[in-house]
Amino acid sequence: MKKNMVQCTFFLVALAVPLAHANPVPIVVNEPAKLKVRILGLFAMERIGDFRLLLDKLKIKILELDFHQAEGILEFDPAKVLSGAKLQEYTSRLDELVRNSSQGTFGLKPPGTTPKNKLKRIEIPVLGLDCKACCLAAYEIVARLDGVEQATASFKEGRITALIDPGRIQLSQLETTLKERGVTLKK
Amino acid sequence: MTFPILSQGRWLTWVLLFVPCVVGEGRVLGGDIQSFLGKHCLACHDSETRKGQLDLSQGKPDFANPEVFSRWVKVFDKIDRHEMPPPKRPRPNRDEMGEVLSDLKKQLLEADRRIAPVGRKPILRRLTRSEYENTIRDLFDIPGIALQGDLPADGMAYGFDKNADSLDISHVNMAKYIQAADQVLDMVIATRPSPPTVQKRRISLANRGGFVAHVLLNGDGVLLRDKKPDPDFPPAGEQNHLDEGAHERMGTFQTGSSVGLFRHEDESFSPYLIEQVTIYPGNYRLSTSLWSFQWDKGKVLPSRGTESARLSVVQLTGDGRGGQHPSRVLGYYDAPSIHSQLHHEQVWLNANEIIGFNAASLAPAVNYSRKGRAMAFTGPGIACDWVEVEGPIHDQWPPKGHQTLFGDLPLKEFISNGQRKVRPPVRLKTRQLGAGMNRPDPDVGLFTIQSDNPVEDSDRLLGEFLPKAFRRPVAPGIRKGYVEKVKERLAAGDCFETAMRWAYRAALCSPDFLFHFNPDGRLDNYSLACRISYLLWNSVPDQILGDLALNGKLGDPKILHNQVERMLKDVKSQRFVEDFLGQWLKLRQIAATDPDKKLYPEFSSFLQDSMVAETRGYFRELLERNLGAEFLVRSDFVMINNVLAKHYGIPGVTSSKIHRVNLPMDCPRGGFLTQAAILKVTSNGTTTSPVPRGAMVLERFLGQPPEPPPPNITAIEPDVQGSQTIRQQLKKHRSDPACATCHDKIDPPGFALESFDVIGGFRNRYRSIGAGDPPIRGWIDPFLSINFKLGPGVDPSGILPDGRSFDGIKKYQELLAADPKMLLRNMAEQFVVYGVGRPLSFADRPQINSIVSKTMNKGGGIRTVVHEVIQSDLFQNK
Repeated sequence: MKKNMVQCTFFLVALAVPLAHANPVPIVVNEPAKLKVRILGLFAMERIGDFRLLLDKLKIKILELDFHQAEGILEFDPAKVLSGAKLQEYTSRLDELVRNSSQGTFGLKPPGTTPKNKLKRIEIPVLGLDCKACCLAAYEIVARLDGVEQATASFKEGRITALIDPGRIQLSQLETTLKERGVTLKK
Repeated sequence: MTFPILSQGRWLTWVLLFVPCVVGEGRVLGGDIQSFLGKHCLACHDSETRKGQLDLSQGKPDFANPEVFSRWVKVFDKIDRHEMPPPKRPRPNRDEMGEVLSDLKKQLLEADRRIAPVGRKPILRRLTRSEYENTIRDLFDIPGIALQGDLPADGMAYGFDKNADSLDISHVNMAKYIQAADQVLDMVIATRPSPPTVQKRRISLANRGGFVAHVLLNGDGVLLRDKKPDPDFPPAGEQNHLDEGAHERMGTFQTGSSVGLFRHEDESFSPYLIEQVTIYPGNYRLSTSLWSFQWDKGKVLPSRGTESARLSVVQLTGDGRGGQHPSRVLGYYDAPSIHSQLHHEQVWLNANEIIGFNAASLAPAVNYSRKGRAMAFTGPGIACDWVEVEGPIHDQWPPKGHQTLFGDLPLKEFISNGQRKVRPPVRLKTRQLGAGMNRPDPDVGLFTIQSDNPVEDSDRLLGEFLPKAFRRPVAPGIRKGYVEKVKERLAAGDCFETAMRWAYRAALCSPDFLFHFNPDGRLDNYSLACRISYLLWNSVPDQILGDLALNGKLGDPKILHNQVERMLKDVKSQRFVEDFLGQWLKLRQIAATDPDKKLYPEFSSFLQDSMVAETRGYFRELLERNLGAEFLVRSDFVMINNVLAKHYGIPGVTSSKIHRVNLPMDCPRGGFLTQAAILKVTSNGTTTSPVPRGAMVLERFLGQPPEPPPPNITAIEPDVQGSQTIRQQLKKHRSDPACATCHDKIDPPGFALESFDVIGGFRNRYRSIGAGDPPIRGWIDPFLSINFKLGPGVDPSGILPDGRSFDGIKKYQELLAADPKMLLRNMAEQFVVYGVGRPLSFADRPQINSIVSKTMNKGGGIRTVVHEVIQSDLFQNK
């Protein structure tokens, strides 16, 4: 179990590193604190409910949530939720909390820095089982790639979507990676 | 430290050195014998012809020479069994035979009685590995401690490992005994004021790290909810599930859904429940809920019948990950169609043991590599709703074993300030291997046994412990030696517990504990109690038997009879059944060969375990119902379960538990000889040969062990290509008269058993991987692929050396059953050799005959043989 936790931590830290460098300080800080974040693991609309349930348990309020950008503004009492954390640690500490409480199926990062108008939405038709965990698996394959800002995965609908920075990644790279990891692409 | 037994051993050495000088002279054979030999034997066995390299012309054989003596015993037996003179020669008349046998017997008995008292009756015999383990288990009430696997293997002589000749001792044994003693004391001594917390965990078969989740992703199993496919986890079809880790993190396997498997355990798939890795050894309650179903491309339908699943215990090793296989089977459990059946067991678990699972009755499905996977599969499945483990369960604290060592002395916290010069006891840190989710209790501090009067307490405690461990009263001088050791350790700065531990470890490694002591002449009550107890329980006498020995009551035949009855009814007598059969019928070798998968696709570990259970169950039935000698070789019932019933072609048996089933008419089963276990241990995994099977029948059932094969004779290799039968090959071999002498005797029983294949299945034709006809499936599971062919026909007929013939197993069984005296004599001999721990000599024969006669007078039952053996002088003397 410990090993799996370590693996999850490694994965999410790897995802978090590029953006954390780009924007290490929370955008909005107040009393109670408000924080704009990118939400990892939001691969389908139905995951919004799971995310809300999780944050309720953690005493964190969701003020705004944009599924298409996978971004949201969270409100919480730092003294209760992140005891002893410094301001610049809020995102990483919240991320740790969210990951630990969701077995690594959700995570938080600072919002992306690439201008929205430079991002391109792509869609990859896929075949697979209508299974939530398989969607998470497919989502993680895509979401961990450098240049992918946001992704969704639904085998029920038969597609994976991604918001990519075309300067950093191409559709073909996504398709290759998906095939290598066992996802069947629709011809 | 002084051990009185050793002084006896020194005496034995002197006697052994001295004896050959006393008995080493030749004996002149009586005139009747010489005349008989001249008339009937010397034509072939004189100094010139020496047929079979036997020269009987010497009128003054030296019976003190063991080789000469044993040769003459064989001569006696050959004449007695009418094997010699051979059928082609003129037969001696009855009077002539009677006289010569009587004279020869007299001379042989006289000679043997002069040798046997000293040469073949050991005073000391080391405990076997299994005796050692059982003794520890009973002494300290730790019924599942595993010790024998770490001790050096015992040798075997005269068919059993209990023979003193095979039980040597070396520095390796001693090092292992010291290690074992420490392991025992670590387990037994309580180190905390209260028992470990009882933890209860309900575990899904698809638990993390337990192999099953992986096969579910690929279609060798499915998740089921309300007896239907789990809608949140669709069965793998054209596509499989992705990424096991993602499913585990999403909690896919923790929703309470049942796990349905289509695949049994194999080399690359061994399911287990690694969420619960035992931390504290002890008794645990184990429960499971099982059912079966027919899977039809996504639908759950009623199953073909009751299926069976196996639960086992798996000892984790190394880092506790991967490739773990069962170390012991707990049992096979019924999984009825659609309706869940609950099963409960109380089991002992040692540290770092986990529970293993096997969908045992299923044929191996390989959906993961097939197009369409589970959604294209139609076949049987076994569903496990959950497995629950609860424990450790303690009836009392500190446990009984601890009280055996420390009585009611209190366990108190060790405070170093108060005992500045005293070293604290050493505690091993609990190390949990693998990925267990159960956790050790919080550290309660350093607790140890508190004694205000350590020397007096040690004297009292050792005074109680040593007689139990040494199985007889212990002289004050011996006890004092151990107390002195405690005093010495206390003076050196050890705390009371550590000092006592020294003494207990010394006691558990002493000859008084490790050896059986059988003084000369008639056994005293203590030795007799031990001899009975190690025969029937393979362990130390209990309190009742010990008290009777103390009061000298075991000499009373009635009391002895009642004790034997009590002991046979006790569950511990199952150890006798298992240990005795393991050796007498070689059941310990059941897994020595792996049957060829092409030739015998229906073989499985379930079938193999059931084979052993059948033979044990049958022997238990003979004992409990006191059935007669003929039941050794034939019967109208069998002790089988569902898998054996299928194997034997007996309809209507559904339970996985071994139970009594009456045989249908014309069924070629019944008795030990036709049991699959016996047939498997006498085969090589690919083919059968009448030679080893015949030799086993002669040696183990008829008490007439054949001569060992002459040197430089290569074994006959049966032909699996199907061109030549073993009988045809043996015919060539027997055309050599030198070979024929023995094979005329060995081969016939083997021929009768030719009707049974390598795994004990009945056959009319040999299976072949070469030439032959395609087989009819018969009782073979339709989900198994058949790749063998049917080769030449089997001929199970034969002619016994006395000229009687048989056309198959049924007739052969009839011929054997016609001589219950011979069968009983063999049984009595086997029990004596096993129970007394020495080979039988010629001088023991009258007593064996007496046991047989008394048994026959009381109905001839197998249980009666056990009683008569124990009541006999043979058993009650050294």
